[in-house]
Amino acid sequence: MKLKSNKNMFALIMDKLGSWSLLILIGVVMAFANSKFLTSSNILNVLRQIAVVTIGAVGVSFVILGGGFDLSTGMIATFAGCNSAALIVNHGWPILPAMLFAIAIGVVIGSINGVLITHMKIAPFICTLGMQYVVNGLILVTTKSVPITGLPEAYLYLGRGFIFDVFPVPVAIMLLFVLVGHILLKYTIFGRSIIAIGENEVAAKLSGLNVNLVKVAMYAFCGFCVSCAGIVLAARLSSGQPTSGADLSLQAIAAVYIGGTFQGSVVNTMAGALVWGFMNNALNLMNVNAYWQKVALGIIIIIAVLFDAFRAKLAMQKKS
Amino acid sequence: MENILKLTQINKSFPGVKALSDVNLTVKKGEVHALVGENGAGKSTLMKIISGAYKKDSGTVWFDGKEIENTTPKQSEMMGISIIYQELNLIERISVAENVFIGRYPMKHGMVQWKKMYQDAQKLFDEYELKMDAHSLVRSLTMAQKQMVEIIKAVSINAKIIIMDEPTSSLSGKETESLFRIIRKLKSRGVAVVFITHRLDEIFEICDHMTVLRDGHYVGERDIKDITKDEMITMMIGRELTQQYPERTNPIGEVTLAVKNITDGSSRVKNVSFEVHKGEVLGFYGLVGAGRTETMRMIFGVDPLAGGEIFINGEKHVIRSPRDAIHFGMGFVTENRRDEGLFLRSSVRVNTVMVALRKILKKGFINYRIEADVAKKYVDMLHTATPSIDQKTMFLSGGNQQKVVLSKWLFSDSDIIIFDEPTRGIDVGARREIYEIINALVADGKTVVMISSDMEEIMGVSDRILVMYEGTIAGEIQKEDFSQDLITKYAVGERSVRV
Repeated sequence: MKLKSNKNMFALIMDKLGSWSLLILIGVVMAFANSKFLTSSNILNVLRQIAVVTIGAVGVSFVILGGGFDLSTGMIATFAGCNSAALIVNHGWPILPAMLFAIAIGVVIGSINGVLITHMKIAPFICTLGMQYVVNGLILVTTKSVPITGLPEAYLYLGRGFIFDVFPVPVAIMLLFVLVGHILLKYTIFGRSIIAIGENEVAAKLSGLNVNLVKVAMYAFCGFCVSCAGIVLAARLSSGQPTSGADLSLQAIAAVYIGGTFQGSVVNTMAGALVWGFMNNALNLMNVNAYWQKVALGIIIIIAVLFDAFRAKLAMQKKS
Repeated sequence: MENILKLTQINKSFPGVKALSDVNLTVKKGEVHALVGENGAGKSTLMKIISGAYKKDSGTVWFDGKEIENTTPKQSEMMGISIIYQELNLIERISVAENVFIGRYPMKHGMVQWKKMYQDAQKLFDEYELKMDAHSLVRSLTMAQKQMVEIIKAVSINAKIIIMDEPTSSLSGKETESLFRIIRKLKSRGVAVVFITHRLDEIFEICDHMTVLRDGHYVGERDIKDITKDEMITMMIGRELTQQYPERTNPIGEVTLAVKNITDGSSRVKNVSFEVHKGEVLGFYGLVGAGRTETMRMIFGVDPLAGGEIFINGEKHVIRSPRDAIHFGMGFVTENRRDEGLFLRSSVRVNTVMVALRKILKKGFINYRIEADVAKKYVDMLHTATPSIDQKTMFLSGGNQQKVVLSKWLFSDSDIIIFDEPTRGIDVGARREIYEIINALVADGKTVVMISSDMEEIMGVSDRILVMYEGTIAGEIQKEDFSQDLITKYAVGERSVRV
């Protein structure tokens, strides 16, 4: 009896904390292992590093929780960074319209993904894989594979600035995206519909949800988030780099899965990105060889997904 | 003649349901044996026990002189028991011959003898006078041809008994004839055939002997030459109504839903027309595959309408999706509530509000307090047994899951509610509650359409019954004329009137 209640307690804590418990584990271990880990400069540094991925991962969360998948996000992000830079530097556009236009292109590409997947019934994995190459090609065509430099200070502020000289601007943008994403997912019909479709598309349709429209909107929203991430990335790198976002798709997907998809939320996705960022940081601080770091990070993804599956299993067994 | 298969005192229970009690079945060598009973009589369960797909709780199975116990479907197939399910078990992308010899390809030095395989398969087809090329892909065959391939596969494994589960349900008259020719051929070679069917004429045409099951019980067996059709029907259904159905006295009002000549474009739903009134429970009876669910899915906008019109409260509407149907006040409690009705990983509260999310908005955002109040209200109203409104619906019993599905339609203010087998898999106590809820709905002026394959239930709950047979409405029966005999006659195509 005692044992059983302990087990239930454990299940409950796991259910509530999810991947945050992994983060706590890393924090506790590293607090003892390395004195530099728990300093504000180190923490802010890690937050800066994960800001771009997290902004994009907010959008990717919607897609994955809605039962879809998107491999094209890295390229959409890069495209937005390069487009905004090109419009400003090469065509003399003011900053804001240039950014809005670049983001709009990302939304359009996301919508095209959505329409192909819902109306043409193409598997999301393959559709977005194809789209990744299309966008990659467009980037090379438009930039001729040359980085676009000479961005104005105000643009760079988004990626390199600090609020009151302490708080990094990209981290503030990241928190804003997480907050808005969280509200959208938990407090709107759109968010509810996404969760419902991700869980049971047939039942969602029979419950009168406009499944196709919601799915297109979800890919469009993803396009919006990753385009914003791409602009922040360009600002961080001080240039529109045609090859900068190649790894972003997979990192964003990793963040979502580390965060957990069983009872997924945008806040959990941020936890996933934090686990990734702090793990990276911890390995750096411990002077682990960069090649071995990759191995370790890969293992983290697998462990996190196993952990999520285990959590799901516990939740499914929870009889009352 | 010698017995090939003998089952005695077979019992099998599933959680909450006793599927078989003391069932016997004796099949002789070279006999065509009909296994008959209504939907849910236990025929499929019995078949699965013979194949080894289910484990019996008690009883004995003798096959070919030996008692068999705990066999797997694969082992029993190798011993000579072949089962041909309604859902055929062939691989579409490969050739007929490969399907016949799958898992038993002729080998030589570790290599498949393709040529020998095709020759052997062709020899079998020729032997049974089937015009079929062993090289053709299963994909290109008709349903009837696929069935023949299954039979030939059974023959090639030297099956001593072949059990066919409603083999004629998807065949035309001509195809049925050629199936019977094959069955006679099998019989002449000493292979026993167990023939499951609803069609009484077919029993007279092809079978020697019959065993009747009813509600999981063994009713009896007869030689076909000694029995009349009426006696057969009496054996299938002959019992008094035992369950209690709550009384209902509410008035019946004007027509709310009218359907005119709807067709699905194939042969599953053909020119179905009916009307149903405010405050009425209209029952839809029919055998499995008669087209009842398909009809309702079209009315609810799940599947496209190939022709026909739908009127709601006298106005003609085009319904393209469930969303449209809901907009016009319809609700659909589907047969398969776990896959189509519920979000199992989500809580009672999330499921309750799913159809009418708009109603829990406050200033444009979802308000969790309103959601909780709504969920509590329906849990109290329908007496849903759940520890809390946050319980995931996968942990609820069938009856309580059904109540959650119902509450989502009640909260969305549906006026016309379609129930497809609302009490399937639900225990007796909870059934009565569902009937009481249905009564409360019609008393409240709502319209209820209920599909049920349970004869007692449909007679106990409906004000009027429509019986479907092969995609058409075979008959309409008013409450004062309800009789099991009449319903069965319509349902098996013995009798039909244009309505």
